[in-house]
Amino acid sequence: HILIFYTVSDKQNRIKLINHNYLDLLLSDDEEDTKRVVRSAKDKRFEELTNLIKTIRNAMKIRDMAKCLEEFEQLCRAFLKSKTIMDKEGVPQFYIRLLADLEDYLNQLWEDKEGKKKMNKNNAKALSTLRQKIRKYNKDFETEIASYKEVQSCSPDAFTSSSGSDDDDDEGITAKSLLKKKPQEEEKKAPEASKFLKGAADEESESEDDEESEDWGSDSVDSGSESEDNEGAAASLAVVFLKKYDSRRKKHKKKERLEEEADEEAEAEEGGWEKVKGGAPMVKEKPKMFAKGTEINSAVVVKKLTEILQARGKKGTDRAAQIELLHALAGISNENNLGEGILIKIKFNIIASLYDYNPNLAAFMKPDMWKKCLECIDELMDILFANSNIFIGENIAEDSENLAISDQPFRVRGCILTLVERMDEEFTKIMQNTDPHSQEYVDNLKDEGRVCGIIDRLLQYLETKGSTEEVCRVYLRRIMHTYYKFDYKAHRRSLGLQGETKSEQDQEESEGEDSAVIMDRLCKFIYAKDRTDRIRTCAILCHIYHHALHSRWFQARDLMLMSHLQDNIQHADPPVQILYNRTMVQLGICAFRQGMIKDAHNALLDIQSSGRAKELLGQGLLMRNMQERNAEQEKIEKRRQVPFHMHINLELLECVYLVSAMLLEIPYMAAHEFDARRRMISKQFHHQLRVGERQPLLGPPESMREHVVAASKAMKMGDWRTCHSFIINEKMNSKVWDLFPETQCVREMLVRKIQEESLRTYLFTYSSVYDSISMETLSEMFELDLPTVHSIISKMIINEELMASLDQPTQTVVMHRTEPTSLQNMALQLAEKLGGLVENNERVFDLKQGVYGGYFNRDQRGGYQQKQGYHRGGYEHLSVTSKLLFTLFCGGSSQNALSLSSSKQLPSVDMKSVFLVWLVKLNVCVFLCLWLL
Amino acid sequence: MAEYDLTTKIAHFLDRHLVFPLLEFLSVKEIYNEHELLHGKLDLLSDTNMVDFAMDVYRNLFPDKEIPTLREKRTEVVAQLKQLQSETEPIVKCVLFYIYFCFNFCFSMQFRQEYLDTLYRYAKFQYECGNYSGAAEYLYFFRVLVPATDRNALNSLWGKLASEILMQNWEAAMEDLTRLRETIDNNTVSSPLQSLQQRTWLIHWSLFVFFNHPKGRDNIIELFLYQPQYLNAIQTMCPHILRYLTTAIITNKDVRKRRQVLKDLVKVIQQESYTYKDPITEFVECLYVNFDFDSAQKKLRECEAVLVNDFFLVACLEDFIENARLFIFETFCRIHQCISISMLADKLNMTPEEAERWIVNLIRNARLDAKIDSKLGHVVMGNNAVSPYQQVIEKTKSLSFRSQMLAMNIEKKQSHANRNEVKALCSFAKILMIRPINLSCFLFVLSEKKIRIARCKL
Repeated sequence: HILIFYTVSDKQNRIKLINHNYLDLLLSDDEEDTKRVVRSAKDKRFEELTNLIKTIRNAMKIRDMAKCLEEFEQLCRAFLKSKTIMDKEGVPQFYIRLLADLEDYLNQLWEDKEGKKKMNKNNAKALSTLRQKIRKYNKDFETEIASYKEVQSCSPDAFTSSSGSDDDDDEGITAKSLLKKKPQEEEKKAPEASKFLKGAADEESESEDDEESEDWGSDSVDSGSESEDNEGAAASLAVVFLKKYDSRRKKHKKKERLEEEADEEAEAEEGGWEKVKGGAPMVKEKPKMFAKGTEINSAVVVKKLTEILQARGKKGTDRAAQIELLHALAGISNENNLGEGILIKIKFNIIASLYDYNPNLAAFMKPDMWKKCLECIDELMDILFANSNIFIGENIAEDSENLAISDQPFRVRGCILTLVERMDEEFTKIMQNTDPHSQEYVDNLKDEGRVCGIIDRLLQYLETKGSTEEVCRVYLRRIMHTYYKFDYKAHRRSLGLQGETKSEQDQEESEGEDSAVIMDRLCKFIYAKDRTDRIRTCAILCHIYHHALHSRWFQARDLMLMSHLQDNIQHADPPVQILYNRTMVQLGICAFRQGMIKDAHNALLDIQSSGRAKELLGQGLLMRNMQERNAEQEKIEKRRQVPFHMHINLELLECVYLVSAMLLEIPYMAAHEFDARRRMISKQFHHQLRVGERQPLLGPPESMREHVVAASKAMKMGDWRTCHSFIINEKMNSKVWDLFPETQCVREMLVRKIQEESLRTYLFTYSSVYDSISMETLSEMFELDLPTVHSIISKMIINEELMASLDQPTQTVVMHRTEPTSLQNMALQLAEKLGGLVENNERVFDLKQGVYGGYFNRDQRGGYQQKQGYHRGGYEHLSVTSKLLFTLFCGGSSQNALSLSSSKQLPSVDMKSVFLVWLVKLNVCVFLCLWLL
Repeated sequence: MAEYDLTTKIAHFLDRHLVFPLLEFLSVKEIYNEHELLHGKLDLLSDTNMVDFAMDVYRNLFPDKEIPTLREKRTEVVAQLKQLQSETEPIVKCVLFYIYFCFNFCFSMQFRQEYLDTLYRYAKFQYECGNYSGAAEYLYFFRVLVPATDRNALNSLWGKLASEILMQNWEAAMEDLTRLRETIDNNTVSSPLQSLQQRTWLIHWSLFVFFNHPKGRDNIIELFLYQPQYLNAIQTMCPHILRYLTTAIITNKDVRKRRQVLKDLVKVIQQESYTYKDPITEFVECLYVNFDFDSAQKKLRECEAVLVNDFFLVACLEDFIENARLFIFETFCRIHQCISISMLADKLNMTPEEAERWIVNLIRNARLDAKIDSKLGHVVMGNNAVSPYQQVIEKTKSLSFRSQMLAMNIEKKQSHANRNEVKALCSFAKILMIRPINLSCFLFVLSEKKIRIARCKL
């Protein structure tokens, strides 16, 4: 088997591997050779040369001049080494050919000015060096090259594509040029050999449709020897050389094959059937699969199956052929009514080998392969549903299987859940690797329904048969396919709208329960039964996401809080973390829709403040990280990406975040205009504001961000109408707001919030201008009803944000005008800083000396520390204080000299002296403070 | 008023014996159909051994029918009781004997497990028969005898609490409640779900105690609002408890803490507003979230009706109304600087004269800084804004004192360190068995400074 499949896989690999892998492959082929053959020095040398030439040709193809140059230098060296042989044998034709080709090629490149410009610096440099070199070098071989060129011009047919672009063409040529000579050679060989070769060729031509089969079709012998040509054949072959060189190698190989074949045949005779030719179409195959006389029973089929499976995973196994074989086997067993047990067994293996088809784990299955797999699973499910007496399980041992005896329940090893899971994963991979804006993506996405269907069926099946663990797993799969979809049906139903026509209504009813109900049922089962933490975590997150998506804010929030996921999510694996991020974002957006601006802001803060929302949500890789990660990491990260149809709109996300930040930040800024300790609520929002300010010319806003910035500016002035028109207009509607399911509600909510927050901002900003203001005027200005205005103002008064009180008989707001003047404000700040200073000193002392320093209770201090943070040292505070003093008294106090001089003494390290200086200063400050006021 | 009645919700979490007082109360209030109530009672009784009570109810329900199976059950129960009694008697005697004469009876007499079980079974039977005092007594013995790890230990605590509640023995009940709470909180074996269930029960059972015990209203705030586990239990399992919590807070006498407590309460109420709402919580929400005094007033009126019909809260109706009024007024005053008395009277549900008197009383008792403008009929608030000067003084007042303290502490610390050094030297001298003074000479070579200190001390 191995040998039969050998050539085929070899060829396939070669198609794929254009570049350096080639060398490896060839070497690995050599390894096998070296075991058997002791080669002459000449062979060795020639091989080395041919290898190098191959690499050069490859480099030429991809225009990698640097590589070309490097290899060429090596080639020259290698040629020098084999000088002795060359003297004997003459310069080999393939060497000459390369030299000629290379020169032509370089000249051609040199002429191509456009192409040269496009080259990077390295390549261009290499090109010029190489060109000079080869000119010099070729002078030695002038005659040979000339004669070669002559030959070429004489027989253009044979060599036209010799410098062509495809590797395979090279071999094609090899083959063609071989055509004339080979048959005679072959005839000398033993008859068995030719027979064998024929077979091998046959199969090869069948299994490789993409090869130019017309080449092989004419005579099969040639292609049989193809594999041997690997090593040497790429050279343009002078007829003489070929004869000598290749035929010798072939002899070795042929012997090998003969032996093996003999073995095989013997084996086959023992087994009672003919030997297998993989990959041949079924019609031909069937008679070959089993000998004619053989009675086909289950034992035989099972034996055959194991035989096929043994080839699995071995090097050089043709996977496609194997799949075909298995299909054929399934057909046979079906024809002969061998029972479902065997059929299932075979189906399992077909699916497994379908998955195996792609050896590389990172790559994705081809959609058509995947579809085949889908069908297989579907059929498998059909069988399972039709026959309830079949037990399948991972832990059924191979030998305790019961495939044949139909009166007992069948027992088959295999896990359908794993297969379906793998199928689902492959689906995700396919979606990840398809361009999301193409029709292909849409087509692929249509299969999602089938995937869901299969999962549903599996779910039904496992609910009756599977263990709880399996049920949990399949439930999670189902949840994963449900949670991100908005249930328009239920939404419409909740709005009280029925489907327009009768038929639609019927359809609605037949479609069954709401996704919310399903989610609830599945998730609760998992919460109760699951033993692995991961599945439960995922289920919780999906559940929250689903709640949030459908605006069930309270449920979503409670679930999030109760699950305590926030505490330990950082220990989870990246996909779960991505899911968590997605959930948080969805939660934030949901809160926004419900008008819980603060919650929305809090939920989105973490994601947005990092500036890597795209990456955190698994919706794309950031470019700037390219240097930080290598190709391997990038591959891993790519595999984690969420397919496009599950994406959360990033612009929507940012807009929601910015708008909620605006609604929080603008009144806050207005209220704390003079507060030195003011803190930013949202850094990102401030950043946007600053960007907006930096612009020299302010045109009408274009992007979403500009709109928000413009709106913020309007709101700062208390102008809610302008603010409103910036936030809600045609552009923003189409960009953002229309993406919500309940657009109208959101807009109304937003208008209201803008009015309220503008009112607050207005009061904060202009309260110093007013002595009293009528609430009615306010309510007219902001188009809010009187109770709302009253409630807002009351809240501000109670929270002591606004120094005012209401005058009930006249319905006005009377300002107390107790806002401190700026000087008073600074004095207050100074006093506060002093307090902080004392406290800090106590803390420093505490840290150094234990608990001696404090005399006041710890709770008080705890509160303070929370506000201040630990890391500010006492020294820093001293300097801050001195600066403040300076600024405060620059206006005209004679005392500032004192304070400054004291601050100059400061940098003494001894704690006590610092302390004394500080004590003096403190007293001065307090005194000054009071004196000043 | 049935819509605000919580009996059905609460009954889920109560023992069947504890439900009887609630049903009695309901039948007095006549909210529900008497007939249905009796039916319910009979259903409740069917699983207990209180056969006499059941017969009474049955007779009430069907005056003209003969009582079918109850008589047989009665004889059965009596027989069982007799048997258990005879089994338990010697044990109890032993116990009593040993309690009086020898305290470590557990060791002297191998008190076997089955004795304990018998005791427990007997107590349970007593309880089921409605003989709560007997049950409490035996359960007391039981609790004294068994280790905390016994499987019936927790059950006995529950039984004891129920018996005490049913006997209206509030002091003892309070003690049992604390004990039970400790047991539940310290229990590490049970799963979170079980503890949650236990806590929910405890919350409900404790209502009996909290609203009858004189100190109960402080404790209820402490337990329900400031113990995160219990607050969680309320939020997840029984948000309707918020009604009792709110009432307790509003009627609470402690004025100083009240503001903070109210703030916390409002937070919880807002969080849970989607799952539970009744006039009492809505009242708080109106007053402290929306500052909507009109609707607060409306809610207050509704509250009255709710309170009257609530088993636990009837007693604190007066307190509640008075305090709620005060709350409204206080908030009102904090926001306004000038209020007309007539409007206030309207808001407070009083006549203008009454209102005026009320306000005058408040002012007199110095709970309010205000004056009455009798010509216009206004109340004018005093201005209580703090001037920045005062703020600065406040802020810097303690600074010098604190700094001095710090300086003193440093000095103290240093002298302390010195003394330690001397002590170390002396002990070192003892070890070397030379006189300290010689030591100082000896050490002189090593370190001049340290010796100087030592010498001056010596």
